[in-house]
Amino acid sequence: MTTTSAEALTALILSARGVRPQSLANAEAEEVLNIALALLIELSVSNDRIDRLERMVAALRDEPVSALRDVRYDGEAAQERQEAMEALLARVLRIMLDPRVQPPAAAAS
Amino acid sequence: MKVRDLQHAVLPETSAEQRSRQEAVVALRRLLNTRVRPRNVEAFASEAQPAFIAAYGRAPQSPEEVQRAFLLSPSYRRWSAANRAAQEMIWVSVGEPIYRDLDRMRAAARALVTAPDRKGSLNLDPDYDPSAEVADVDIHLQPGGYAMDRGEDDVVAGALYECGGNVFSFGQGIGRADSKAGVVIRLLDERFGGFRPQRILDIGCSAGAASAAYAAHYPDAEVHAVDIGGAMLRYAHARAESLGVGVHFHQMDASAMTFADGSFDLVVSHNLMHEIGEAKRRAMMREARRLVRPGGVVIHQDVAIRDQPTIVHQVERDWDTHFNGEVHWSTYATADLRADMRAAGFAADEIVEHDLAAVQGFAGNRWYAISARKPA
Repeated sequence: MTTTSAEALTALILSARGVRPQSLANAEAEEVLNIALALLIELSVSNDRIDRLERMVAALRDEPVSALRDVRYDGEAAQERQEAMEALLARVLRIMLDPRVQPPAAAAS
Repeated sequence: MKVRDLQHAVLPETSAEQRSRQEAVVALRRLLNTRVRPRNVEAFASEAQPAFIAAYGRAPQSPEEVQRAFLLSPSYRRWSAANRAAQEMIWVSVGEPIYRDLDRMRAAARALVTAPDRKGSLNLDPDYDPSAEVADVDIHLQPGGYAMDRGEDDVVAGALYECGGNVFSFGQGIGRADSKAGVVIRLLDERFGGFRPQRILDIGCSAGAASAAYAAHYPDAEVHAVDIGGAMLRYAHARAESLGVGVHFHQMDASAMTFADGSFDLVVSHNLMHEIGEAKRRAMMREARRLVRPGGVVIHQDVAIRDQPTIVHQVERDWDTHFNGEVHWSTYATADLRADMRAAGFAADEIVEHDLAAVQGFAGNRWYAISARKPA
């Protein structure tokens, strides 16, 4: 039976021993940093996949990959890209747009 | 023979995506090592020491106080947290393909170590209980540690060590063509008159990279190698067979080996001293001298962290003790190894310490070694 990636990762994680010493002053911040760095690695993996596909398409079209990438949006396409970028920023930066910070006294209680 | 980034039958098969992930971890670690970590000593002066003085009314004095001060520096803490995260991601990036491909790897290893034309051998000791000071720790956070053995045909510990070691080393700036065995072979050529050993012992061989390199470089020599874990040694043996070299692997404790006195022309250890405690290190050094023949050479090679210019540099370099499962890192870095070699039986004038250039590496990597030749 094939071992899935999730099963493989679970086996690896279960075999690890020892406590994880904390570096940052706040344990939750350190967890979030770990998640952010893991996502950085996964973004790099995805970028590699896009690169492979671009090169494949360029080869199929018999043109340099740089020509494939040299896209300048205008008109309706440019507007779509602009809206998509703004939506991405809103999703990623939501915490800054809608902080609703709890007062320190309430946070401590 | 190259020792890193080699292709052989017991390595896990990896997808393009898995290779991308490993390369991204290498790149992240390179960035941390070359662009962020070098600022730690400066951060000690600008952040850590002032914060310590503000808290305690005086400058930090002892290594423990310097360590406490470092942890008051936000810059150091950010690097430390990121470095720990990157170290854990090494094992994630190599562990997934290993556990996914394990059935094939185990079958490949079994076929290699039982092949009628095999060149080496594997001698496991079912009564040996791997030394707890090594076995009970996930050294450099390798999940399960060096001695993890999940039963018959298991090779996970060896595969993790080799694959994780490559991702670690490339992120550390160690070149793909670098070789600790190559450094020792060069030392034998340059400082020991081209000494050509016929019988070689590699103590603490882990996945057998150096052992196999010696066997390839000295094809007429008989190479023996010792480590504590069954799965590590199974992998090492299969790896050597796949590379077409003969190495005889033994499950033994470095502090009490069963070879006869004077059995070897050359006794080496690579990166072993920093993985074991003081008592075991001294016993290992005594064993190395016992096992080398008169006229033979002993060389213990390890990481070049021993000569730090200040206590701040020393404590900064000691991060691995606290955050990377390298519990003997500091013990090794501050040990009087010349005294240990004398206690092992070598005369003072037989002992030489070496600051060795790596065979290849972009960051000016160096290795430490201490050697002695037993009088003929």
